[in-house]
Amino acid sequence: MSLRMFICFISLLTAQAAWGEGALKDVEIDHSPAALRRGAATVTSVCLPCHSLKYLHYRDLLKLGFSPEEVTGLSMGNKPEAALLALMPPDIGEQTYGRVPPDLSLMAKAREGGPHYTYSLLTGFYQDKTGETNNHLYPSIRMPDILGWSSADAAQRAVLETQANEATAFLVWAADPRAAERKRLGYYTIAYLVLLTGLLYLIKRKVWARLG
Amino acid sequence: MAQRLIAWIDQRFPLTSFIKRELTDYLTPRNLSYWWNFGFLAGFLLMLQIISGVFLAMHYKPDVNLAFDSVQHIMREVNYGWLIRYLHSTGASAFFVVVYIHMARTLYYGSYRAPRELMWWSGQVLLILLMASAFMGYLLPWGQMSYWGAQVITSLFGATPLIGDEIVLWLRGDFVVGDATLNRFFALHYLVPFFIVGMVIIHLVALHHVKSSNPSGINLADKDNIPFHPYFTAKDLFGLGVFLIIFCGFVFFAPEFFIEAANNIPANPLQTPPHIVPEWYFLPFYTILRAIPDTLGGVVAMGLSILIFAAMPFLDRSRIPGGARFRPFYRAMFYIFMVDVAVLAYVGSQPPGGLTFKIGVAATVIYFAAFLTLPFLSRWEERWLRARGLPPALQALLDSETEPKPRREAR
Ligand code: HEC
Repeated sequence: MSLRMFICFISLLTAQAAWGEGALKDVEIDHSPAALRRGAATVTSVCLPCHSLKYLHYRDLLKLGFSPEEVTGLSMGNKPEAALLALMPPDIGEQTYGRVPPDLSLMAKAREGGPHYTYSLLTGFYQDKTGETNNHLYPSIRMPDILGWSSADAAQRAVLETQANEATAFLVWAADPRAAERKRLGYYTIAYLVLLTGLLYLIKRKVWARLG
Repeated sequence: MAQRLIAWIDQRFPLTSFIKRELTDYLTPRNLSYWWNFGFLAGFLLMLQIISGVFLAMHYKPDVNLAFDSVQHIMREVNYGWLIRYLHSTGASAFFVVVYIHMARTLYYGSYRAPRELMWWSGQVLLILLMASAFMGYLLPWGQMSYWGAQVITSLFGATPLIGDEIVLWLRGDFVVGDATLNRFFALHYLVPFFIVGMVIIHLVALHHVKSSNPSGINLADKDNIPFHPYFTAKDLFGLGVFLIIFCGFVFFAPEFFIEAANNIPANPLQTPPHIVPEWYFLPFYTILRAIPDTLGGVVAMGLSILIFAAMPFLDRSRIPGGARFRPFYRAMFYIFMVDVAVLAYVGSQPPGGLTFKIGVAATVIYFAAFLTLPFLSRWEERWLRARGLPPALQALLDSETEPKPRREAR
């Protein structure tokens, strides 16, 4: 974990230098179960019209602590085994935006800066002098300012920040749903190995003591 | 019962005598430090890669339309698929860490010198096979870096005079890296490890013939040799434990440490990533490739930078034993070389051009200069050392070794 954070930190530093002032925002992402669930609701309602998360199935959302009824609510008539596909067919996306909106399942791992990239993208929209919306992180991006960040005032922005944060947390989970399981197993494995290695050290000492 | 079974086998297969000769009676210098642990670790990693690889192959699909998805299938649906994959992807990097340390140890202690040249050369073959296997394995997840890395590296063969284009076509099986390439890389990635196993056996047979080198650099008197088992089995297993703690730290807590972000994007032949970097273990050689402005020259230089290690037994003309320990100039050169390789690796990870490029050129020159000046430096150093008078400890060691020893009587 700390190593990962170290890497994030380094890439943030270099990214900051490369992108200029404040393009990648270094915020603490809230990974609490409640935040993940709110993030899931945001992503399925706000992003799913355009983006897929094709490696996730609606039933996977149960693992976030949703009840089956809530999952049925989120799945908008889709079967629980169905993948989270965009409502907009790819060719329409291509026609409308000149590019199929990319799949978001792995987005949290697929850009330098990891989750900070997505967060900064969502909260990086602004209105330029001609009144066009643009993005600090991804200039002339073809995605609309979906949260309405560029026209929000300070009070609204506080709400949107939380929303972007939670959506990002959900995308981090979506990119690696096994992370919690992995870490849990990791603690046991390392504890076991430390014990085993300690014993092996004692055995080694004992065996070598015979040499005098 | 067990004894009768063993006796039955021994009549038909030299089991007991094999174990005796290669383990319980196999003599090993007792002064081996933990730097001698890394060959064992490399063997462990070879097994880990083969076993995890076989399980990955049961779920992986070498098809441009399915490969990326099948990796995600392994990560998400297959029972402990994420563990198998992260063991394999982290294992590849760990393999290079361990092998590079193993090589550095050999260079530091001069273990490549007579009579161990064949060990060094079989090791050189192992390194090349390992690199080939890693390179082909990296294509399989079919991410952006996989694709463009393979595209760039295979296109290098186009620098071959006259038949360059044909070679590239033959390697890829297509005009661009595509389905044919993915299929053959998968087949070869599964095959090469078995060549590695064969080469490792040769490496070990040679080892058990010439015996381990040791930090003093001379053959130790019999009394300083101890049986491999139980002494070094115990020591190696403890070393393995320490290694596994670090290794599992990466597997469980930072598994994406060695995976480029861009490789989480499916390969897209129409969109070149802004900055193509090979895996970290190829970075020094990648810098050497780019340091030469001419493609053919760059490819040749890169090839030489790997193959030149094989010349070490000829380049090192000093007869002072103990590798770098008693040789201040060789030691200094060793450390300069290590720093130089680190600089080359850093430059390789940066976009080309500018000051980093110039540093890369300088580091390339130093890299080759280290090898090419070694014959002169090592000769001169030996004369200098002898003129100054060798350290008494070393002189005593040398004296005890120079006369052919009569067989030692048990005292
Ligand atoms: C109206 C359609 C639409 C909606 C809704 C939408 N996006 Fe997008 N998004 C796009 C398009 C189009 C692109 C491609 C932009 C480009 O490459 O120019 C994109 C690209 C992205 C990217 C990748 C940028 C890159 O670096 O390539 C991210 C991340 C992203 N969207 C996140 C989100 C999130 C999170 C949401 C929900 C909060 C969302 N989008 C909602 C249309 C949409």
